Amino acid sequence: MLNIIACYKWVLDEQDIKINPGNLALDTSRAKRKISEYDRNAIEEAVIQAGECGATVASLTFGDSTAKQSLKDALSRGPEKAYWVNDNAAQTADGFVTANVLAAALRKIDKYDIILCGEGSADSYGQQVGPRIGALLGIPAITFVSELKIEGTKVIATRKIGDCTEVATAEFPVVVTLLPEINKPRIPSLKQVLGAAKKPVTEWKASDLGLGAEDLSPVNKIKEIKGFVMSRKNVLYKEGTPAEKVAGLVASLTKEGVL
Amino acid sequence: MAGIWIYSEDTVVAQQLMTMGRPLADQLGQPLCVMTIYEQDAPEFVAAGANKVFVLKGNSAWPESYAPAVAALAAKESPTALFIGATLRGKDLAAKVAARLKTGLVTDAFAIRFENGEIETDRVMYGGLAICTEILQGIGVVTIPPRTFEMPNKDTSLTGDIVLVDAGVDSTMVVGNVCPIVRLGADITKAERLVCVGRGLGKQEDMKLAQELAAGLGAEIGCTRSIAEDYHWLPNETYIGLSGQKVKPVLYLSIGVSGQVQHVAGIRDSKIIVAIDSNENAPIFAAADYGIVGDLYQIVPLLTEAVKNQR
Amino acid sequence: MGEEEKFDAIIIGAGPAGTACAYILAREGKSVLVIERGISAGSKNLTGGRLYTYALELVEPGLHAEAPLERKVVREQIMMLGANGALTIDYLDYDFKQEVPQSYSILRAPFDEWFAAKAEEQGAMVAPGILVEDLIIRDNKVVGVKAGEDEMYADVVIAADGINSFMAQKAGLRSDLTGHMVGVGVKEVIELPPDVIQNRFNLATDEGTARMIIGCTEGIQGGGFLYTNKDSVSLGIVFSPEAAAKQGKSIHEIHQNFKMHPAIYPLIGDGNTVEYGAHLVPESGWRDVPPKLYRDGFLVTGDAAGFCINTGTILRGIDLAIVSGVAAARAVMKAADSTAVGPAYVKELEQLGLIPTMKMFAGWPDIVAIPRMAETYPRLANEVLRFMFTVDGHVPEKMPKAMRAIVKRHVSMSQLISDGWKGVTSV
Ligand SMILES: Cc1cc2nc3c(=O)[nH]c(=O)nc-3n(C[C@H](O)[C@H](O)[C@H](O)COP(=O)(O)OP(=O)(O)OC[C@H]3O[C@@H](n4cnc5c(N)ncnc54)[C@H](O)[C@@H]3O)c2cc1C
Ligand SMILES: Cc1cc2nc3c(=O)[nH]c(=O)nc-3n(C[C@H](O)[C@H](O)[C@H](O)COP(=O)(O)OP(=O)(O)OC[C@H]3O[C@@H](n4cnc5c(N)ncnc54)[C@H](O)[C@@H]3O)c2cc1C
Ligand SMILES: Nc1ncnc2c1ncn2[C@@H]1O[C@H](COP(=O)(O)O)[C@@H](O)[C@H]1O
Repeated sequence: MLNIIACYKWVLDEQDIKINPGNLALDTSRAKRKISEYDRNAIEEAVIQAGECGATVASLTFGDSTAKQSLKDALSRGPEKAYWVNDNAAQTADGFVTANVLAAALRKIDKYDIILCGEGSADSYGQQVGPRIGALLGIPAITFVSELKIEGTKVIATRKIGDCTEVATAEFPVVVTLLPEINKPRIPSLKQVLGAAKKPVTEWKASDLGLGAEDLSPVNKIKEIKGFVMSRKNVLYKEGTPAEKVAGLVASLTKEGVL
Repeated sequence: MAGIWIYSEDTVVAQQLMTMGRPLADQLGQPLCVMTIYEQDAPEFVAAGANKVFVLKGNSAWPESYAPAVAALAAKESPTALFIGATLRGKDLAAKVAARLKTGLVTDAFAIRFENGEIETDRVMYGGLAICTEILQGIGVVTIPPRTFEMPNKDTSLTGDIVLVDAGVDSTMVVGNVCPIVRLGADITKAERLVCVGRGLGKQEDMKLAQELAAGLGAEIGCTRSIAEDYHWLPNETYIGLSGQKVKPVLYLSIGVSGQVQHVAGIRDSKIIVAIDSNENAPIFAAADYGIVGDLYQIVPLLTEAVKNQR
Repeated sequence: MGEEEKFDAIIIGAGPAGTACAYILAREGKSVLVIERGISAGSKNLTGGRLYTYALELVEPGLHAEAPLERKVVREQIMMLGANGALTIDYLDYDFKQEVPQSYSILRAPFDEWFAAKAEEQGAMVAPGILVEDLIIRDNKVVGVKAGEDEMYADVVIAADGINSFMAQKAGLRSDLTGHMVGVGVKEVIELPPDVIQNRFNLATDEGTARMIIGCTEGIQGGGFLYTNKDSVSLGIVFSPEAAAKQGKSIHEIHQNFKMHPAIYPLIGDGNTVEYGAHLVPESGWRDVPPKLYRDGFLVTGDAAGFCINTGTILRGIDLAIVSGVAAARAVMKAADSTAVGPAYVKELEQLGLIPTMKMFAGWPDIVAIPRMAETYPRLANEVLRFMFTVDGHVPEKMPKAMRAIVKRHVSMSQLISDGWKGVTSV
């Protein structure tokens, strides 16, 4: 039977991140976490494909202890089991470290035919972990895929890359990174949420995967992370009739000289 | 041998990166080298100021398959940094190269500096909410979006080496059915005025509202990622934002766009930002110069009328 | 559907009522499912933010010590806003700092999340992100719930779904909410550094203030509140939406004007608003508690049952929600069969003092509803003090005469008598 593994990242919800207007520092203390948007597409696609060809689906994430919360959410989206590399190294991980860990986890899982990733993660949006995993495992990685077909022992994937589409075909095992247009992730139902609690979870530390300090240290040095503030006029027409609001706006735009 | 290296499968983009690479190489006192898979373009790079051009000669027409060759050459020559054009093909290749080199990769850097003997890059994080400054270590691989830098001046009297390199290509994938996407509208990245539609629009027919307003304003139409990717009402190259187009019109006017940070990341260089949305708390208003809180179905027809009368 | 899919209890809503109930039932070995529509417990909740800890102790002794509480309330204040000033009664009591009973300011999002996680530790199953749409009723007995395509069964279904309880309505225990039964609460959480809060409110590190405010609703019946948290202040108002609609005022406007009042603004100035929202509050106390709190296989708890007391000086809902959740759990544990659960629940509510307390405050909504409480009296009080403290070199009027004049400017004798009478009889 085919084995499909969907990789997802447990990220801070950027909508909850506040910027301190004084020093532009980020305040993440009130931020909740979520499964990165496009990784929900990856999980969904794994489950859809499995439904068609009878594969087993597992989810795989590398996160710190906060990622425990993600397991139920991920499993309620359909995978039969979850793998979780629970390690604080995730807090500082860059694409290099993340790919090292995920590739090592996949080697340990041993049975994988199709590895699905999102096109990019919602926090760092590095768009690199998927193809990196392919390179580390020495298997093809097909990126930016908008349509996926499994035929026999290969995948046939339509890529959408800027000004053209093309169809890439590769034998298993293969990494595929998905564009969000590929499907519409489900909203898990009550039974799916309840079922998730009963599904098996395998938990590893990075050291269980035979990884050393070198594999777990990010390469580039982060000098600073600063909030981006945009100052705009913020003139709002919200009172009065629609005609009054429009008149107000037209007057402003005329004054700006843009009409 | 060190050096600042540039690669893109798109020769125009590669030259744009040279505009950034030339002064950086000079500051470092290192050569500026370009890798290309198109032998015929090599002289152009020399004219644009490359000290050395490596032509990767392989038997594949698919640019991404050159990742092993780029990585092998970089491993051998050990450049200080490798800048790659951040087209989607370029990002794919860059990630595979960085993995092979066991090094870091900065995606979509928008600024590069040489400071205190080190190379620094800026890129956005959290969908555009923050800027992350990194100092490159090892062979620093960085991708840079097209049009971040202007084209360099050409000087045909310049000289440089052109070296042909036998390239081993990745042949684990078969690629076919390449099908160019025909651009329907004008290029929104160059538009002076833009009307941007979002999911506030209930039905595809309602695009007419936006079209009439755009006609009145003499504007092009752009959209959010949701409109392009979920609804397919407009082609992908008309969506604006972090993963879409960066635009810099004189007037950007959105209708029914909530203004999530990933979208706003693409409109920051607009001169005047106007938003129409029924939700007073929509984040787009915090990013806008002017806004109307109201139902677009009431506001837009009135605005179209008013604009026509103005002109 | 397999047999094992049936639960001993299904609880709708992971607010304080539902979670308290789930915690106890799970601890006592029952299989419990809590269904919460919010993406996580607490994500949809909004509250002023004070918890009386005796209630948590009923769930599990010592539990409050682990809870994410903000500040221990030692200052109880009543503030009456005048047009351009305020009269504040400040009652400091360090006995409130001792052991239970005491009260703390809380922020509901972290509190609810913590509480639900505690219930899960006890073995309760919490399913977030799911909206219960209907009850399954067979042979006149509630046997389960419907959510989307799914049906789930249980011996008893406990509605803890808050003020707008569709579940109590579906069970036929209560009718649609009407305007006079509810207040609208608007609340804002404003972030300030802890030392600024301590300075502005005259508090030590872990101490807090709870302040009820009248005269802040522009004459619309209702009042305001202010609680100090560790590094934020919860500021809000609760008022009658009916009366507000009559005066054509928007909730937002009233709240904004309140914030800008010269006696309020300095307390929150330089702060960052990190949360803003509106929610309903049961306003009419005992009178609107449904006559029946159960039917076969079904109980109503917390706000869903109207368990809330607003005296104008204190607002209690969270503690009563928890107490009712405890009562429901105890009833389920004690009752021999499903028909006995309902009566056992009412008995527990009596024994835990919830029903007697509600009855005792039954008349208070009339006082809160006296229209003049929201503006006239606070203004009057301010003017009396202004008279007492004004020194301008003129010969002051004689006290009694001046007082009479002030009172007369605001109310007629008959109004005063009628309000006084109402006050006396209501209490
Ligand atoms: C990694 C990543 C990258 C992304 N990149 C991009 C990107 O490049 N570009 C992009 O656009 N998005 C991007 N997104 C998606 C982005 O987060 C938002 O989901 C998207 O921009 C929302 O599109 P929208 O505003 O059309 O829809 P919505 O968020 O659904 O907003 C619709 C708006 O319409 C309003 N509305 C509804 N009815 C009416 C009416 N009758 N009158 C007036 N207003 C009405 C609503 O109040 C609302 O504000 C990205 C997301 C991720 C995770
Ligand atoms: C502005 C304001 C200030 C207040 N201040 C105080 C105070 O200082 N002290 C105090 O003690 N009380 C205060 N209260 C009252 C207090 O908040 C409530 O009495 C208390 O929250 C009631 O708890 P509950 O568990 O019954 O309901 P809730 O806390 O409302 O919880 C109900 C839960 O059920 C969920 N739910 C609803 N319907 C469904 C469904 N169909 N399916 C699944 N889930 C559902 C909701 O999402 C919610 O999580 C205040 C209220 C307001 C509005
Ligand atoms: N920590 C992680 N755990 C599991 N998968 C991840 C992790 N980080 C990234 N990924 C996967 O790699 C994709 C691309 O991530 P990025 O390169 O960070 O944009 C994501 O969409 C995920 O599918």
